Amino acid sequence: MSYYCTSRGNSQDSSSAGETPGGDTGGGKQSGGGGGATVTGGGGSQSSSSRQSSSSRQSSGRQSSSSQSSGRQSSSSQTPAMKVKPGCGSASAGAAAVTTEEELLAGGSIPPEDVLGLQKITSNYLCGPDENVYSIDFTRFKIRDMETGTVLFEITKPPSAERAGEKKDADPNAGRFVRYQFTPAFLRLRQVGATVEFTVGDMPIDNFRMIERHYFREKLLKSFDFEFGFCMPSSKNTCEHIYEFPPLSEELMREMILHPYETQSDSFYFVDNKLVMHNKADYSYSGGQ
Amino acid sequence: MGLLTILKKMKHKEREMRLLMLGLDNAGKTTILKKFNGEDVSTISPTLGFNIKTLEHRGFKLNIWDVGGQKSLRSYWRNYFESTDGLVWVVDSADRLRLDDCKQELSALLLEERLAGATLLVFANKQDLPGALSKEAIREAMGLDDIKTHHWCIIGCSAVTGENLLSGVDWLLDDIAARVFTAD
Repeated sequence: MSYYCTSRGNSQDSSSAGETPGGDTGGGKQSGGGGGATVTGGGGSQSSSSRQSSSSRQSSGRQSSSSQSSGRQSSSSQTPAMKVKPGCGSASAGAAAVTTEEELLAGGSIPPEDVLGLQKITSNYLCGPDENVYSIDFTRFKIRDMETGTVLFEITKPPSAERAGEKKDADPNAGRFVRYQFTPAFLRLRQVGATVEFTVGDMPIDNFRMIERHYFREKLLKSFDFEFGFCMPSSKNTCEHIYEFPPLSEELMREMILHPYETQSDSFYFVDNKLVMHNKADYSYSGGQ
Repeated sequence: MGLLTILKKMKHKEREMRLLMLGLDNAGKTTILKKFNGEDVSTISPTLGFNIKTLEHRGFKLNIWDVGGQKSLRSYWRNYFESTDGLVWVVDSADRLRLDDCKQELSALLLEERLAGATLLVFANKQDLPGALSKEAIREAMGLDDIKTHHWCIIGCSAVTGENLLSGVDWLLDDIAARVFTAD
């Protein structure tokens, strides 16, 4: 399995291929297809901080992709890993009233219910980068295959304090967009664990909520809705959703592979029911072909 | 959407459980969480916030919250009490010097109204260490037999080896299910 990721801008690190992440016992079965990843940086300094493995390395150029990574990192613990069943961590389309991007942009502050009514990917960001008044900063993304324990990719970035040298005139949206390139095999994974790590500024947050919606063209594939609730001031927090991949028809998978970057997602973050961050990503599944 | 589908969804929704894992710093809460979910436990640093895992286990949708236990963070614990079905109290069985502190913190939690309906699982962790007290010794030192307000159970475990983590969580789920989902 491999992926390419075009960065969340700024610097993200990823480090050395070859170390074993997550692999204490090392006895895990390995599945086919070497892990490979490429990260394209969205401009910004490069830095390295992650000790843990990532299967990627960063290039700082906007377009270029770099780095194939290491093979599949093995791991898997022998101990009581839970049996994970389908349906976790997701909420389906739900019963929210249908909304459009235009309506939301025209109104004032945007509550969670409104984005739950969206039927397709937005073409714009629904809030500005300056609305992140709580200084919420995403510092790590990781996906692992639960069946093998393999870390499929991991990107970390150092806390913003360590990124002082960054260019200020860079595209303000650079840090809000990620491009992932996976191989077709990714679509056949059964269970994955998706981890985010984020830090919070020096004000406590009472009610933090994330809604993430994944589409292929205008079809909603998956909608996550998760309430973190309270976040301590100056805290570092992680959340891993372990879930079953939504079952996709062969036909749909073929289409998704044939049409790179038409699989897209919007991630909306709310504090006290007010939109404070909006990040986007797109995906291709034709890597390695 | 048919009626059956709706009923199934409602039932599914009901089978959600929120578990809150607390204890003094260095008790092994994060290690338990990670080991339980098959992650590497060789490089774990103090939790300065929370770690959440959502997963499905035995047909239950679990939201497990591991909140940092350092003294300066304990005043924030209250923010995570709401809707808790199960409280997992983790004890470092080798930390004899702080057993009293550990007992006091747990006693305070058991007085909390918002935890009144929660089942209590005490993990006597670090049983793999030579100096660890047995779960019976922990049970006595912490006065667990005096607890009349909550269903509780103590289980000796090792987060590092994974020993007994599953049986502890399974006991907790069974107890919660029996209380909450009796209609099933």
